[in-house]
Amino acid sequence: MNIIKNIGEKILGRTPTAINEEQIKQKLSKIMDPDLGQNIVDLGFLRNIKISGNDIYLEINLTTPACPVKESMKSQAEALLGEIPSVGQIQVQMTATTRGSTAPAQSQVAQSLGQVKNIIAVASGKGGVGKSTTAVNLAYALAARGSKVGLMDADVYGPSIPIMTKPDAPTQSNSNLINPPQARGVKVMSIGLFAGGEKATIVRGPMASGVIKQFLTQVNWGELDYLIIDYPPGTGDIQLTISQTAPITGAVVVTTPQDVALIDVRKAIAMFDTMKVPVIGVVETMSYFICDGCDKKHYIFKSGGGNKVAAEFGLNFLGEVPLESNVALNSDKGIPAVIADSASPAAQSYMTISGAVAAQVSIIHEAYKDALNHFVLEWKPMSQEIQ
Amino acid sequence: MAQSQPVEFLKSQKPSARVKSISQVNDRLFQIDWTDGLHSQFDTVELRRKCPCATCKDEWTHEQILKPENVPDSIRPVKIESVGQYALSVQFTDGHKTGIYPFSLLRKISLIN
Ligand SMILES: Nc1ncnc2c1ncn2[C@@H]1O[C@H](COP(=O)(O)OP(=O)(O)O)[C@@H](O)[C@H]1O
Ligand SMILES: [Mg+2]
Ligand SMILES: [Zn+2]
Repeated sequence: MNIIKNIGEKILGRTPTAINEEQIKQKLSKIMDPDLGQNIVDLGFLRNIKISGNDIYLEINLTTPACPVKESMKSQAEALLGEIPSVGQIQVQMTATTRGSTAPAQSQVAQSLGQVKNIIAVASGKGGVGKSTTAVNLAYALAARGSKVGLMDADVYGPSIPIMTKPDAPTQSNSNLINPPQARGVKVMSIGLFAGGEKATIVRGPMASGVIKQFLTQVNWGELDYLIIDYPPGTGDIQLTISQTAPITGAVVVTTPQDVALIDVRKAIAMFDTMKVPVIGVVETMSYFICDGCDKKHYIFKSGGGNKVAAEFGLNFLGEVPLESNVALNSDKGIPAVIADSASPAAQSYMTISGAVAAQVSIIHEAYKDALNHFVLEWKPMSQEIQ
Repeated sequence: MAQSQPVEFLKSQKPSARVKSISQVNDRLFQIDWTDGLHSQFDTVELRRKCPCATCKDEWTHEQILKPENVPDSIRPVKIESVGQYALSVQFTDGHKTGIYPFSLLRKISLIN
């Protein structure tokens, strides 16, 4: 009978009235989901309705793949669709999506660092080379040039930033983030700022990584031009955690002139290379000594270690910082050299270095302007396309 | 910084290829457009089979300990997230999420380039 009808239509040159979605929905709204007590159309179970000519393809997306009435629902749907006049092939596919929390998993890094334009790692091969002093002065030198700056102490085993900057106590923000306190206009975060923080040396491995992760996901850094991170010396789990969690713009590597430290410096550089963190350059501290008697530079150590390592790896040499007793004295009082005595050779060095860092950072920025800093792709169930 | 000359990247370091955009293609595949203009697609089931984590792959011999037949075709990601700026991690529907896939590896094993 159908054949005759089709031929008749062809002969008369008349196309049958096309099947529309409304007809399909009207038919299928007679099917109830026994658990939810509502019809499957209102529940939004229909997916991917495709009508080509008189053929219908659609999916019924259930709330669980283990639905006990799956099969009977399928045959019910096929029967109901078969009632549509002049319908051709009917294909009903049963699919399922387990419904969970519908709130998109807000990226934790984004809530903390989303408005931070550049993150600069200050690293070294070993301790005591003047890394923290460099990090602090870099922060204040950039701030002195009018940038919004944050300073994060990631050296959980030997937090020295609180002593070097003397910030207030941190506070809780209304969004459950920690507000970093300010010290002379720079936002500061350190485990040393929390009660018992001075006992930080007892913080061990996994716990330390947890603390650092919190600093990168639960601190309200807000809008910053630069976040300077004082890395722990060497190449351990914490350094790994930071570089895996936060989009580090680039790293500054601090050395002293002695060769002994350079072995570890090479390891630190190799680590950044593995994690594709650009190395902005090498800073050499305590390079020379200017005595009271003359203005001559006394290179008390074997000179040129920083330069050597920079040359070896094809890195920029950002500059050398003289050994000045006032740098240490003021640092212990919580006053960074660039603020305490901005005309001193050490302060001048830090200013020059910060300028070089800022210039290199903008080059990195340009090179990666198309790159996503951070991404989360939530997987969505999709049906395979039908041919 | 205003510069008339094209800026040179940090001395001898070359910019690495990073993710420009990432999107799901269909139930199994996703696509990455890289900053250097390359496009790659990945089969998430294959990615699970090639998981580079220490329990799935021998660190020293680089042999895949995980048997492909032990990963069903029905496996899917739950989410894919960046790891720093050099890799991504995938949380799978079987709960496995320790694999970190460096971009350099992904560019070698992609379906189309
Ligand atoms: N340029 C400098 N001149 C004099 N003393 C310095 C200088 N840089 C750092 N120091 C001192 O050297 C010691 C170690 O420096 P610090 O920055 O704490 O090193 P690190 O963070 O690498 O362990 C500190 O007492 C600091 O005040
Ligand atoms: Mg230190
Ligand atoms: Zn694995």
